[in-house]
Amino acid sequence: MAPANVDALYAQIRKRMVEGGEWEQIQAALAAKLNESGWVDDLRDRSKERARNMDPLSFQTLLEQVNPNAQTSVPLAVKREIISLIRQYLEKQFE
Amino acid sequence: MSTSTTCSHIIAAFADDELRGTILSKLKTVVTWNVNRFQSVRNPAKRRKVAAPACSTCNLSLSRPFACLHCVYAGCWVGGHIVDHLKDKDHTFCADVKTGSVFCSECDDFIYDAKLDEIYLSAVILAEEKQTKFQDAKKPREAYKLWTPTAKEAAALEGAVAIPCQGRRGLLNLGQTCYLNAVLQCFAHNPLLRNYFLGDKHNSKQCKIEENCTCCEMDKLFSEIFSDDMNPYGPISLLATTWKASAELSGYAQQDAHEFFMSALNQIHSTSRGSTNVSCNCIIHSTFAGQLESDVKCERCGNVTTTVDPMLDISLELKGKGGEIASGENTLAACLRRFTQPEKLGPKEYSCSKCGKSHEASKRLSIRKLPPVLSFQFKRFEQKSKDKASARKIDAPIRFPASLNMAPYTSLVMKETEKENSGPAFSYPGPEAMYEYDLFAVINHEGQLNNGHYTNFARFQDEWYRFDDDKVTHSSLGECLRSAAYMCFYVKRHLDYKPYVTPSYVLTRETEAVREKELEKEKEAARMKEVEDALLATV
Repeated sequence: MAPANVDALYAQIRKRMVEGGEWEQIQAALAAKLNESGWVDDLRDRSKERARNMDPLSFQTLLEQVNPNAQTSVPLAVKREIISLIRQYLEKQFE
Repeated sequence: MSTSTTCSHIIAAFADDELRGTILSKLKTVVTWNVNRFQSVRNPAKRRKVAAPACSTCNLSLSRPFACLHCVYAGCWVGGHIVDHLKDKDHTFCADVKTGSVFCSECDDFIYDAKLDEIYLSAVILAEEKQTKFQDAKKPREAYKLWTPTAKEAAALEGAVAIPCQGRRGLLNLGQTCYLNAVLQCFAHNPLLRNYFLGDKHNSKQCKIEENCTCCEMDKLFSEIFSDDMNPYGPISLLATTWKASAELSGYAQQDAHEFFMSALNQIHSTSRGSTNVSCNCIIHSTFAGQLESDVKCERCGNVTTTVDPMLDISLELKGKGGEIASGENTLAACLRRFTQPEKLGPKEYSCSKCGKSHEASKRLSIRKLPPVLSFQFKRFEQKSKDKASARKIDAPIRFPASLNMAPYTSLVMKETEKENSGPAFSYPGPEAMYEYDLFAVINHEGQLNNGHYTNFARFQDEWYRFDDDKVTHSSLGECLRSAAYMCFYVKRHLDYKPYVTPSYVLTRETEAVREKELEKEKEAARMKEVEDALLATV
C-alpha cells in the first residue's frame, strides 16, 4: 500500500476511534496498566528529581532527557496487551 | 503585584484587562470542554454526538488538544504544530486542555501562574460537579463554594498573623513508642485532620471534658507541630491518655501500629463533640468512614443477600488461596482484586432464604461507599496459632501507586461490569475524579514482630519526607515507593460536599446563649425594681 494511502487510512481510523470513544477507552486501559506496573510513578519520580537539579529548568530539555528511558521501560506485557486491544478494534472495523 | 508566577509575559498580559479576560475565559472554556468531552465519550448514548476536533495544521483528530489562548486554533503538541502557530500569529500562550498547563512562546517553556492554576482547578471542579449523576435526595451535587470572609470575620482576621499551613517536627521516642510516632505523623499529614484541628474545631482550652480527652491531645499535638519550635517533641500526655483509654496498648512494650491506629480513631471519635454511635459525623467518621458491601449469592437459585457494614480502613491479605503470594501479583491492585474476588461458601456455611435449602454459595465483598481518606493495612503479621510467639512476618514487598483509582472495586462498578460482560466497565457514572486518590503517607516496619522498628513517609503538597522518630529528612516519591509498606494512606483528589448544616450542639449553644441573655435582662430589671422600691420607701 502506498505511503500516502496508509496515512489517509490512519487518519480515518484515528478519527473514528477518537469520535467513537475507543481511543479514550484503550488509553484508559493503557494508563491503568502502566500505573499498576509502577511505570508512571517511576517516570514521575525521575522527572521530578532531575528537574530539581536542572538549571535552567526547561520542559523541552527535561522531556528529551527522560523520553528515551520512558519509551524503553514500558513493560513488554503491557505493550502486548494494548496492541492486542488495538488489533481487536481494527479487526472489527474491517469485518 | 503577584510574585507567584514564573513568567514575566503573563504579568504583562494580565496588566491589559481585555487580554486578561480573553486568556482566562478561553482557558476556562477549553478545560471545561475537555472534562465534559471525556464524560460524554463514556456514555454510549451520547457517544456519536461528540465530534472530535482536528488539528488546524495536520488535520488529524486530536486526542490531546492544545488550545491557543488568543484564538480558535487547536493543534498537536507532538510535531510542534501549536508552537509553530504561536510563533506565526504572534500569539503568546496556549494550554494543554487536559492538565491546564500553559505554555509561553516567549519563555519557550511551560509556565506557572497562580491565577491560571486557580482558574483551571475551579473550572474542572465545576464541570465535574455538574456531571455527577449521584444524587442525594434528588438534589444535584453540592457545589464547592470558595470561602469569603464576612465583615465580622474580616475584622477578626485583621491583625492576625498568618502562619504557613506546613508544619513538620520530629517526635521523640519515649521508649519503644515508634509505633505511636509513625501513626501520629500520618495523622499530622492527613489534610482533613490537619484542617480540622488547625481550624480550631476542637479547642483544648475550651473543651468541657476534664481529663483524658484524646481530641484535646490531638489539638495540642497540632499546636506543637505547627509552632516555631523545631526541636523534636515528646507526646507524653498523649501517650498517657492512650494508656488510660486502652489497657492493651499500655506499657512500654512495642505495640502494633495498626492496632494503635484503630484505637486512636476510636478515642478521637468518642471524645469528639456531637459524636454518635450510629451515622456519626465526627471528624473521624467524616474522614475515614466508608461502607463495605457483602453480597452472598445462592449458587442454586441466584438469590442475592446483601449486607452493608461500616468500615474505617481496609486490611488486605497478602497470600492467595494457595497460601503463597503469586508472582507478578504483588501489587496493591492485585490485593484489592483478591479482596473483591468471589469466595466460595460451602453448603454447611450457608442456607438460602429463598429456595430454602443448604447450598453452595459465593460471597463477594465490594466497596459501597468510598471515604475521603482510604487507609490500607497489609496483613504482614500472620499468626499460625493462638500462641503469639509463633507469629511470623511476611516481608514480601508490595508495590503501591502514588495515584489510585478505586472504581473497579466499588459495588456500583462491579455490578456494571457484570452487566456489560465485556472486560472493564467504561460507562459507569462519573466523573472519574470521584474514584481517584493520591498517596500521602506510608508506615514502614522493619525487623521482626517483637523487635522491629516503625518509621514512616509523608507528603506535604508535592514533597516527600521521611520520619524516623526525632529524625526528619527530605526524601522523594521514589524512596517512598521503594520502601516496604505496612500501611498506606490515600486521600481523595477532589472532595465531595454535603450541604452545610449547623451542628445541633452549636444550635443548642446559641439558643442557650439567647436564653441566658434574657434571664440576665429579667434579673437586671428585677434588681432595678428593688432599688426603685427601696428608694421610694425612704422618701
